[in-house]
Amino acid sequence: MTTTTVTPVNDAPTAPYSPASRRSVHVAVAAVILTAVALPGVVDAYTISLATTALVLAVLAMSTQLLVGVAGLPAFGQVAYFGVGAYTAALLAQGGTTTGPFHLAAAAVTGAIAAAVTAPLALRTRATGFLMVTFAIQSLAATAAARWTRVTGGDEGLHTSAVTLWAGAAPLTNAGHVYLYVLACVLALGTVVALLLRSRLGLVLRGCADHEPRMAALGHRVGAELTTGYVAAGALAGAGGALLVAVNRYVSPADMGFDVAAVALLAAAIGAGTMTGAVAGAFAVVAARDWLGGTTGGHGPALLGLLFLTVAYGRPHLTPLTRWARSALASKGKT
Amino acid sequence: MGQTGMYVVTAIDGVAFGLLLFVVAAGLMLIFGVMGILNLAHGTLYLAGAYLAYLLTNGNLWGFGLALAAGVALGTAGGAALSAVLRPLTGRDHLDQALVTLGVAFLAADGFTTVFDAAPLPVTAPRPLDGSIDVAGHGYPVYRLTFIVVAAAIGAGLHLVIRRSTAGVLLRATVSDPPMAAATGINAGRVRTAAMAGGGVLAVTAGVLGAPLLGPAPGVDTTVLVLSLIVVVLGGAGSTGGTLAAALLVGQVQTVGVLLAPAAAPFALFSALLIVLVVRGRTGDVPAVRAA
Repeated sequence: MTTTTVTPVNDAPTAPYSPASRRSVHVAVAAVILTAVALPGVVDAYTISLATTALVLAVLAMSTQLLVGVAGLPAFGQVAYFGVGAYTAALLAQGGTTTGPFHLAAAAVTGAIAAAVTAPLALRTRATGFLMVTFAIQSLAATAAARWTRVTGGDEGLHTSAVTLWAGAAPLTNAGHVYLYVLACVLALGTVVALLLRSRLGLVLRGCADHEPRMAALGHRVGAELTTGYVAAGALAGAGGALLVAVNRYVSPADMGFDVAAVALLAAAIGAGTMTGAVAGAFAVVAARDWLGGTTGGHGPALLGLLFLTVAYGRPHLTPLTRWARSALASKGKT
Repeated sequence: MGQTGMYVVTAIDGVAFGLLLFVVAAGLMLIFGVMGILNLAHGTLYLAGAYLAYLLTNGNLWGFGLALAAGVALGTAGGAALSAVLRPLTGRDHLDQALVTLGVAFLAADGFTTVFDAAPLPVTAPRPLDGSIDVAGHGYPVYRLTFIVVAAAIGAGLHLVIRRSTAGVLLRATVSDPPMAAATGINAGRVRTAAMAGGGVLAVTAGVLGAPLLGPAPGVDTTVLVLSLIVVVLGGAGSTGGTLAAALLVGQVQTVGVLLAPAAAPFALFSALLIVLVVRGRTGDVPAVRAA
């Protein structure tokens, strides 16, 4: 038998905005981007490396959010496609192709293919069933990466050389330059995601989260639409994997492990249904795990655990918070 | 002969490992079935049991008995505590429940590495069971054979409790129709806490009993969680019989499969999962503990 489950209500930015509020949001976004670009000149190398890590996690979080917050599907397996993308980039680099943007495109394609192959499995289920199957996809992908030694190097992983911006250009070895490259890629990917959310597909995914049977009754081919959304999320995760290799110059099965999958889900949950929130969530996670965790003598996992509990109990309050932030911005724009 | 003997011995290993997974997965299924929750802290309970065995046994039979008793107490307390932390989230989204159980798993993992360090710890079987006997020309640990018998007894006991006892009737009634069960005077909250406690006891007991097979180490919690989850998905998240069959299959793939074709074993598991999911068709939140 099937029980009806309460799907989360999406409080995502579908409501129409006045031009003034939209302008103020744009001003805020521009301010954040300018700060992000100026960051390497302001802070130390360690903070830059943490920010780069957070940016890579932000792409994975956006991919997860596309399913969790937008389509209402609790996805645990996006890290599998992230891994597929990372290994694609690493293998290309080992084959002598070091062009970063090409890695990004190729990883997005392989991530999408992997998602397309597994989508029929995951989308047979909903709710906790979906969580279980995507969890299984994550763990089997990580196991496969560890065992398929001939291709993936097994648990030793793959080491690669630094990426270049175009064929023949100087390799990106400076941490600040790598950060700026990753930032540019994340901004480009974020733009694509923003367009996707405003597209018909984005609206249908939201509709499915709210009431899937009604969407089907309205004549939407729900299965095909959800599959498209799943493949798009896979492509995004794959692209994130290429960025991981650009940053670490290394990939191993641990990069697609349980902890990374859990953290991506956490970042999406912190985001309370929004993409900007998911990115902020990624930064919050890295701040708790690596930055605060480093100052408490390696108790990063415990801090993460507390963050998990806080977010779980506080999530109904997160959504009003994002709404409040939005309206505060909007009212500021009017004055 | 030696070659066949090796396969026989590995196959028995597979049965032992499969039954270990069965006991853990049965607990996972109980919690999933009654509360509709994927308890991501379930592997943590196994690991707690394994550390308990490390602390109390040391090859001593009395210590082993003590560890078992402590395991039952810890499992009951742990399951009830999980039920309590999940109670405020009743009726909320499944994502919140996943986050809470993940939070508990992360906190516990940090606690374990703080107390026991990051190195794997050896747990020896209790002394009277520490020897080995001759199986198909190979020495085979007596403890593993004993474990097979004990795990089979646990499985049979669980089946009887669910199918034949009053507690089982209450449990099945609450799973199949919670409002109707409540209307007939069943305290659903108490049934849920009992199911969580039962699931906890199964996981911790498996940890104590299984410590000589799969001992305490960081990461064992996720390994056990992953494998028992695969068992639940393969077994159809429903029957004890299906779970048993799936557990034995995974046990064989993980031992004989790895021996025969080391590279293909994880893919074999994946293919099995794929076939089962494709054949079974679309499912939503399937409550477990239906007719076996």
